[in-house]
Amino acid sequence: MVVSDRFESRVTSAVSEGGDTLVIRVAGNFDFNIHREFQRAYRNVMPPPRTFLVDLSETDHLDSAALGMLLLLRDYCVESGGEGAQPAVELMNANAHVSHILSVSNFDRIFSIR
Amino acid sequence: MPAFRVLIVESDAGELGELRQLIHNSEYTSSTGCVLPTSIHAVPSVDMAVGAYDEFHPNLVIFGPVAANNTVADEIRQLRQSGGVELVPILFVQDLTGEAPPPAPPTICDDILTKPYSPPLVQLKLASIRRFCEFSRSLMAQRDRLRRHHADFLQEQANAREIFGNLGNESCLDDTPAIRYHLSPRAVLNGDLLAATHTPDGKLVLMLGDFAGHGLAAAVGAVPLTSIFYSMMPRGFSMSRVLREINRKLYDILPRQMFCCLVMLELDPRRNHLRILNAGMPSPCLKRTNGELHMLESRHLPFGVLSSDQVDTSIVNVRVMPGDRLYLWSDGIHEARNSQGEHFGESRLINLLREDGDEGFQAFDQILVAVNAHAAEQHDDLSLVELDLTHASLRKSGCLAVDHGGSRKGGRVGDWSMQLHLSQQELRTTDPLPHLLGVLAQMPGAVRFQEDLAIALGELFRNALEHGVLELDSSIKATDDGFVRYYDLMAERRGQLTEGWVRISLSCREGEAGGELTLEVEDSGVGFPEVREHTGVYAGRGLNLLHTICDEVHYHPGSSRVEATIRWNGAAEQHSASESSGKAMQNPPLPV
Repeated sequence: MVVSDRFESRVTSAVSEGGDTLVIRVAGNFDFNIHREFQRAYRNVMPPPRTFLVDLSETDHLDSAALGMLLLLRDYCVESGGEGAQPAVELMNANAHVSHILSVSNFDRIFSIR
Repeated sequence: MPAFRVLIVESDAGELGELRQLIHNSEYTSSTGCVLPTSIHAVPSVDMAVGAYDEFHPNLVIFGPVAANNTVADEIRQLRQSGGVELVPILFVQDLTGEAPPPAPPTICDDILTKPYSPPLVQLKLASIRRFCEFSRSLMAQRDRLRRHHADFLQEQANAREIFGNLGNESCLDDTPAIRYHLSPRAVLNGDLLAATHTPDGKLVLMLGDFAGHGLAAAVGAVPLTSIFYSMMPRGFSMSRVLREINRKLYDILPRQMFCCLVMLELDPRRNHLRILNAGMPSPCLKRTNGELHMLESRHLPFGVLSSDQVDTSIVNVRVMPGDRLYLWSDGIHEARNSQGEHFGESRLINLLREDGDEGFQAFDQILVAVNAHAAEQHDDLSLVELDLTHASLRKSGCLAVDHGGSRKGGRVGDWSMQLHLSQQELRTTDPLPHLLGVLAQMPGAVRFQEDLAIALGELFRNALEHGVLELDSSIKATDDGFVRYYDLMAERRGQLTEGWVRISLSCREGEAGGELTLEVEDSGVGFPEVREHTGVYAGRGLNLLHTICDEVHYHPGSSRVEATIRWNGAAEQHSASESSGKAMQNPPLPV
């Protein structure tokens, strides 16, 4: 894996107007280099959101490490759900290339994609 | 904390004494709050200073006023060189008490002290130099630590590479010209993995995997993956059983964010049947002689993601035609970037595959050249496999099988018999062959029959299950679509099986004159039809295969019982007995 800063990536997150959805937007390359930022974006958000919406509209590429990060987010929801309702993870606005990667890996079976 | 070491270069005793006193009086408290001592070493000349350098390791060099006047730039340069990479500041004392203006200090010194001395200014300068030295010392310490870690890391990688290299020793990748492959030297640490072996009944099984995750941790997963593969496949476990085992193991041991994308294929070169499962890998490409390309898309989640699996319904069946070739690769090819950040992508790859075969154009080589040219400044980071599915070498015996030279003489096989009865529950999931072969492997003389037995048992069991119990009609397989439907239907009916049984009996008799091994397979089905001709159950390759292996094959219309016999002559060559018993130990107990 080549660690390069030439292809810049960014993670931003915001709580939606209703207050129960956290939108995480990943711009550029969704890969290992942003794993800390990605984790920071969803951990310890108060109040805990009901849905984590990963907005991929500005994501150019997504690699297997990113799929791993999504699995971690999914796991985080299972753990943080506790006795109450478990938060959901949804992926949205993936471009054709990113959608292809998600379907090749069959991740569309474990994440709802819209 | 070591003392601060000052080297004074001065030939005049009076000047030296004055400098000693000044330095001695200056106090310094380090950033950590300790008051640190100063040690002073004095030499009269630059030459001697160079000599003292190695022993004294000064943190600071001060040239007294007399020495400063008599020193030239070259000597200072020489002095600096003896200090190595560590920066040791050099101070000159300039005497401003004389009448004549002193010469400008050479720029090669770092700073000056002026005489008459102002003790507070000298103290300030010394303190700032010491702070600088502390900083530089901590940088050096960090550099050394990083160097050590890096050396350790490289060593670990080298060790890992060696381990992974040895894991591949069992593979048969290099035993047949039917397989061409390229694995980058970095493959191990990218998490890419390629393995191939033969099943006891002569099928080729190959897998190309790609662990997601980072670095060595991802590569570690390759160990259980290959050990399951290489221990179960040669024992005759079915592909789905092995895949389920792989998924279970990886799910149990891998951290949540790690998983393994995998293509596994099983090629039966005698029946021209390819079974392939793609779990998250880029689609392998089947290239037919007429130029058609078929992409075998991923139909399964990568392994290690979920505890459950859908292996059986995700395996794709392909009828192999003469000249068919299969290309497999990892995403290193898709993701190879050029200097603009543009991926190599699948379409470039497909175009190269399309051109394959035109005027000696070899897609395998062209792909490697093209990807490397595209990702000019990146590391070689790709795995590529080409498999000639109908290559003649694949129809020979398995790479691990012992060459018996056609002779069936050898160690004693013994007098024994056994019977295995499988009812519907077992038939849904159980794979009896590995267990039967496992028992046979313990008989010292039986090892030389292993491949033949595996083929004959496999053939008879499959026929009993598919045609007898599941009532599948072989003629469905006549077309390409039918071929796929046949196997889908089989998976479906097998999963829903509510009644039926298969009985397998093996008996062996051996005397002075020779021996015979009889296989009997019977099922709950209606039995063979009255008219067999060439459309009958055993009219196809299966029967031919049985006849090549067995000396006699008997079956009767209206009965489901098949009897096949393998015979051999007297064990005249006693010397080979010990050799055979050694070979019988080939299969250690399953570690999984």
